[in-house]
Parts: sequence; structure tokens; C-alpha cells
Amino acid sequence: MLEIFKYKQLLAFLVKKELKIKYRNTALGYFWSLLEPLGLMIIYTIVFSIILRFGIENYSLFLLSGLIPWMFVNHSVMRGTKSLTSNSSLIKKVYFPRQLFPLTIVSTNLVNLAISLLLVAAYSFYLGVGVGFKGLMALPIAIVLQFLFVLAVVLLLASINVYFRDVEFISSLGIRGWMYLSPILYPIAKIPEEYLSLYMINPMATIISLYHYVFYGGEFIGMNYLLYTAGFTIILLVISWKVFDKLSRRMGEVI
Amino acid sequence: MNAIEVKNVNKLFKKPYDKTLKGRLISMMRKEKINEQYQALDDVTFSVEKGEGYAIIGKNGAGKSTLFKVISGVIYPDKGSVELNGTIMPLIELSAGLSRDLSGIENIKLNCAIYGLKKDKIEEILPKIVEFAELEDYIDVPIKFYSSGMKARLGFSIAVHIETDIILVDEVLAVGDKDFKEKCYNKMIELKKEGKTIVIVSHSLRPLKKICDRALVLKRGKVQAIGEINEMISMYEKM
Repeated sequence: MLEIFKYKQLLAFLVKKELKIKYRNTALGYFWSLLEPLGLMIIYTIVFSIILRFGIENYSLFLLSGLIPWMFVNHSVMRGTKSLTSNSSLIKKVYFPRQLFPLTIVSTNLVNLAISLLLVAAYSFYLGVGVGFKGLMALPIAIVLQFLFVLAVVLLLASINVYFRDVEFISSLGIRGWMYLSPILYPIAKIPEEYLSLYMINPMATIISLYHYVFYGGEFIGMNYLLYTAGFTIILLVISWKVFDKLSRRMGEVI
Repeated sequence: MNAIEVKNVNKLFKKPYDKTLKGRLISMMRKEKINEQYQALDDVTFSVEKGEGYAIIGKNGAGKSTLFKVISGVIYPDKGSVELNGTIMPLIELSAGLSRDLSGIENIKLNCAIYGLKKDKIEEILPKIVEFAELEDYIDVPIKFYSSGMKARLGFSIAVHIETDIILVDEVLAVGDKDFKEKCYNKMIELKKEGKTIVIVSHSLRPLKKICDRALVLKRGKVQAIGEINEMISMYEKM
């Protein structure tokens, strides 16, 4: 696992390259990383606060503070799953730790997330909600947890996708269901009491609610759920890494 | 100490006839073999001395490229081991691996980073690479607009300028014009004089005589013979 640190330079370079290429040949360039969630926010706001009324105060802010982190998950999983198969020509020719490909995708999205979160913070202050000191302390925890958790998921999906391309289709369907099972469009408070513990199995529930805590002034989810999510993330990451290593051995020939 | 030590390497490729679940179920019901097996490498053992020029020759399908990939670490052998003393640089075709949207200069940097070079080292060898490849005028152009000869020149130039102990060359020299080929051979002879180990996988024999000292003849995954280069080439030609 430590081998990867030797390739810091390469990772930095690959991330830069990804950022550069992602928006090449678009007229608006980097702005797309902001315009995309903004567009979605407008659509969801119209649907859920005008047509289907949830009756949540500052619904657009609530939505934005969950949607921006969700975009990170969405893009990381969608692009990350294909990260090995789309680099097959390189994998077939030269050896370096293949974890770098999924890691590059997730790191690139992390840069986008950081930029977009500034926008959320600005909007929060504009509406008079603001980000407090406690929120500022919680933000790095949310980001680190989310990064590691998503990395674990992407490592697993990307490596299996080399052997069974079915994963690409499953993950694009799964990500949609996963979004509706995370507190993005509605607050956790809407979940019936008897299903709550089942609902909270999803680590993204805790992570998104942390973002609500930071930017929306939502309630703190509680230490129990936070510890559960941290534990879940670490265990999943270790398993994913091991699986990836194992599957990596034959990648050069089957890809 | 030997630069490369390959011991009893075996590689069996399995290729399922039909990978879908339906296909597999049908084969299982008919009690057919699910996998097609192919012994790409069969008990290959050899060693390359430090500072030696070594050729691996064989016909198409003899297992040359598989052996190349096993040495460079892309493929794991089923059995046996590969030991390397020193850093290794496989010369890869630039056309395949790298990003088509990046310019020549960005591709050089990316390639150097793949081999773990530090930033200041990259800056140092960058002008040398560009000069050797004779691409000064096109270096900021995305490589998707390069001709195959230009890509090959850039690829070769990168490979010989990154300082490694062992250089692996797989028939990429087939492209590039006569003058550039000549330049490449001279560069390889020069590198050999500097004490680097060069392994060439090829079926074009003429240039090998100048660079290589010894050769290994591969036939259907098995080592046919190992010995002095001229002897091996005449033997291969009779095969």
C-alpha cells in the first residue's frame, strides 16, 4: 500500500492532465464543474419546492449542500469504474501500480469538489445561514471520510470491471438508486423512525448530513453514526485494496 | 551479478470461448471445455549479464512479446521468477499508451513521471529528448496530429534519455526513416558502452548483429538455443 507514495509526482501530473482534458473543446471550460450542479439545483428546486412541496426552509441551499458532494460521488464512480478499461493500452505496455488510475479520477474530482464547496459556502453566507467555527472543524472530517469511502468503492468497481464489463452498467443504475437512498433531496428527518437504523447503514447518509451540518445549519448526526461510518470506510478500503491487488495480477493479459 | 535472471518461467493463457453467462451455461451443459488453453511460455530460463546486448529472436507467436511483458512486469508468470538488478525501462510505442490530446512536451513529462523521475530531472533531460527526436517545431502540437514516424521518434528518444540500467526494446524500430534508425542503433551502441544492459525482442535480424552479443531463440514458448549472436542468427534462419 505504501508503494503508491513513490508515485506522488505521477499522481499530481495525471490529475493535472485530467483537469486539462476534461473540459477541452468546451466553450465554457472549467465553469462546467460549477454549472452542472447549478443546473441540477435549479431543476430539483423547481420540482421539489414548487411542484412537490417539501416545505423545507431554504430548500435550494439544502439541496446544493448535499448535491455538490453527491456530484463528487457520482462522477468518481462513473468515471472511476472505467478508469482501468479506458487506459488499457497503457496497462498492457508498462507497469506501475494500477491503483493510480482510480486514484487519479477520485483526486481530480476532489479538486472540483473543493472549488464547488466554495460556491456553496458563498451561497450559504448570502442567505444569512453562514458557516460557523464548528462547521469549519467538521468539514475536513466530511471530506476525508468521503474521499476514502469513494476511493474504496471505485477501487473495487474498477478492478472487477476489467473482468466483467457488466459492472459499468450495474454502477450507472446503482448510482441512481443510491442517490435516492441518500439524504440529498429530502432531510433524514423524513425517514420513518422504524427504518432509520436501516437507512443509516449507507455511509453516504452520515457524510451528506455532515455537509448539511456545515453549510445548511442542520443538526449534527451524532458521534455513533460518525464512528460507524469511519469504521466502515477503513474496513472497506482495506478489503478493496486487497481485492484490487489480487485482481491486478492478471490485468495485463485480460484487459 | 546478472542484470536479468529469468528462472523456469511458465505462462499459460486461458481464453474462454464465450464469456457471457449464457455461453458458459451452455458449454457446461454440453460438458465442453470452457477455456481454450495456450502455453505461451514453457519453462524459460536464461540470464543477461550486466552491460550485455541480448536479443530474443523467434517467429510470430513464439512467445517473444509475452516474455517481454513478463520481464517488464506487465504480466505475472504462472510459475518461475524474474529477478531484475537495476531499474528497467521498456520502450513502448508512444502511439498506443499516451494521451492523444496532450502535446509532445506534456507526453514527455508524463512518460518521465511514469518512470518515477523527479521534476528537476525531467526539466534537465527535456531539451535533450526534443533535440534527439528532431521535433523542435512540433513539440507543442497534440500528438494526435503526429505521424507514426514522429511518434516512434519521440518514444525512442524518451526511452534512451531516461537513465535506467536495463532497456527493453520491442520491435518499435520498424518505423522511422533510415537516417533515424541509424541514429537509434548508434545511440544504443553508445548506451551499451556506458555499461547499460539492452534486451531487444525482434525478428528483424540485421541490426541485431551490431548491438547484441548473445541471443536466445524461442520456438513455441520453449527455449530452442542460447548462444553467440551470429551462430544463433544462422541457426534461426535455417529453422
